[in-house]
Amino acid sequence: MKRVRLERLSSQLLAAPPARTISASRFASRAPRASTSSPRLRTTACLQIRCQSTTVSPDLIYEDEFIQEDPEEVDPRTLPLPSPPPSRAQYSAKLAALHARLSLSPRLPLETLARALIDPSADSNTKFNNTNLAYLGASLLQYHTSEFLVTRYPRLPLAITFAAMKGYAGPEVLQRVARAWGVEAAAAPGEEVDPGYLQFDPLRPTVEMKKGGYVRAESAEIARFKWRRGMSSRVTYDNAFGEMVPGQASVSNMHMAAVSNEHNEREKILRDAAQNAHANFVRAVVGAIYLHCGRENAKSFVKSHFLSRTLDLSNLFEFKVPTRELARLCAREDFEAPVARLESETGRMSRTPVFVVGIYSGKDKLGEGAGSSLDEARVIAAQNALKSWYLYSPGEVALPSDTFAEDAAPWKPVYIDIGEIIS
Amino acid sequence: MTIRALEKVSVGQNGIGAFILQCKRMDIHYCDHSGSSRGMNIFIRSMLQKFAASHPQIEFAVSPRPRKHPVMIGHYINGNQKSICVKNMEPTEILKKAELLRDASGEKIKRVNKSVKSINPSVRGIWSPYHGKGITV
Repeated sequence: MKRVRLERLSSQLLAAPPARTISASRFASRAPRASTSSPRLRTTACLQIRCQSTTVSPDLIYEDEFIQEDPEEVDPRTLPLPSPPPSRAQYSAKLAALHARLSLSPRLPLETLARALIDPSADSNTKFNNTNLAYLGASLLQYHTSEFLVTRYPRLPLAITFAAMKGYAGPEVLQRVARAWGVEAAAAPGEEVDPGYLQFDPLRPTVEMKKGGYVRAESAEIARFKWRRGMSSRVTYDNAFGEMVPGQASVSNMHMAAVSNEHNEREKILRDAAQNAHANFVRAVVGAIYLHCGRENAKSFVKSHFLSRTLDLSNLFEFKVPTRELARLCAREDFEAPVARLESETGRMSRTPVFVVGIYSGKDKLGEGAGSSLDEARVIAAQNALKSWYLYSPGEVALPSDTFAEDAAPWKPVYIDIGEIIS
Repeated sequence: MTIRALEKVSVGQNGIGAFILQCKRMDIHYCDHSGSSRGMNIFIRSMLQKFAASHPQIEFAVSPRPRKHPVMIGHYINGNQKSICVKNMEPTEILKKAELLRDASGEKIKRVNKSVKSINPSVRGIWSPYHGKGITV
């Protein structure tokens, strides 16, 4: 539903990460501060190079005497890193097993998979955690899920589309997928931990993936007074699952330490940390596949791991007045007005009667339902008739993303419905 | 807005779409001196490398366990583990046990009464007494 500009999202990620600063908030109090006019400036610059980084800056000069002079300063090379260094990825049996278990291409290096396992709560440096990969992966996941739903079920009401999006690509599902991949969480993140474990810390702030959507001006009032927000405004303002993007006022732990310098205050949210970390790992894997193996591989990965899951869409509907809605549908489509007829019954005077009611429009039977009272059977029949209307599917049709390929067949427009009956 | 949506989570079935091998780790324990580990030691020296190379999805951990019988322990994605004591076994028998651990799902052994188990609705539907010609008694 939302347009994705993938080329803008991914170009920064393929660049080699520069040397990392000791920026974790854990060490913020211990790290020396840079002052522009002090002779300590050069020392500070060399202190900010990540100790085990493979990048070497040419003007790296170690001036140990400055460190020796100040007894309060701690040599950052002796401090443990917040997460395992990328160089250890090649030696982790767990990571290699995970790579093989997901049948990932050898073009996707183990270092990237290790990076996908590092949550911002473990390592706040965006050059080493999975934030950027997860953002890209979330875009792809939502794009492919929404195009699948919109082309496969063109008459789906918007509320059901949002719920189905959540059922296929919501954080709860992503956590289940991560568990089904056999990903285990580390007891506590750290340099010495095997890179094959998911690294996150439930007690430290993390970044919640808020792909798409804007903060509404009245978000505080909606949260507090339960103001009504219409369905159609959710397309523009809310995220891919039709949920309101929380505003400034609803962020509870604003006082917590900074996640990173690149992110502003709004993104420091922590709710279900384990679910968030697992979901971000799964998104990051999708993003990594896109970057290293290309668009088609990412698409087939999403299809095989997410869209192949079973979700019965007819269980998502909850009707308020199905009979009225069915009457409006028949009026709109120039059908004859629907009539409910009793088809069969048993045990009318007993304590367990069953009535079977069919709803007819002229000679066409629209739906049928069985219930223990005449009214119940009629309502269920109307619901079934409406579900069969809404769940119309043209079958396997071409997706918009099929036309991205160079030698793709020309695009044939898909069926677009005129919309919901009563919105 | 007469339709409200209920929240449901999609259900994954392993093998539909993608297949994930359920055995994620195999611990192999041996003893250098005991006679019961003789076959296991030959297995580790001659067969294990090939077996491990053909199963990159499984993490293999070989460690000695002096003065104990040799054991293989499989760890599964659902959190369960399955251990097999392979004392006095020949290397080919141990390979069979390793394949058994590899193929297991990690679920408890259950009696299967129905030949087909599916979450898809039946194509024919459930038989209804209210449809069709009815039964004359």
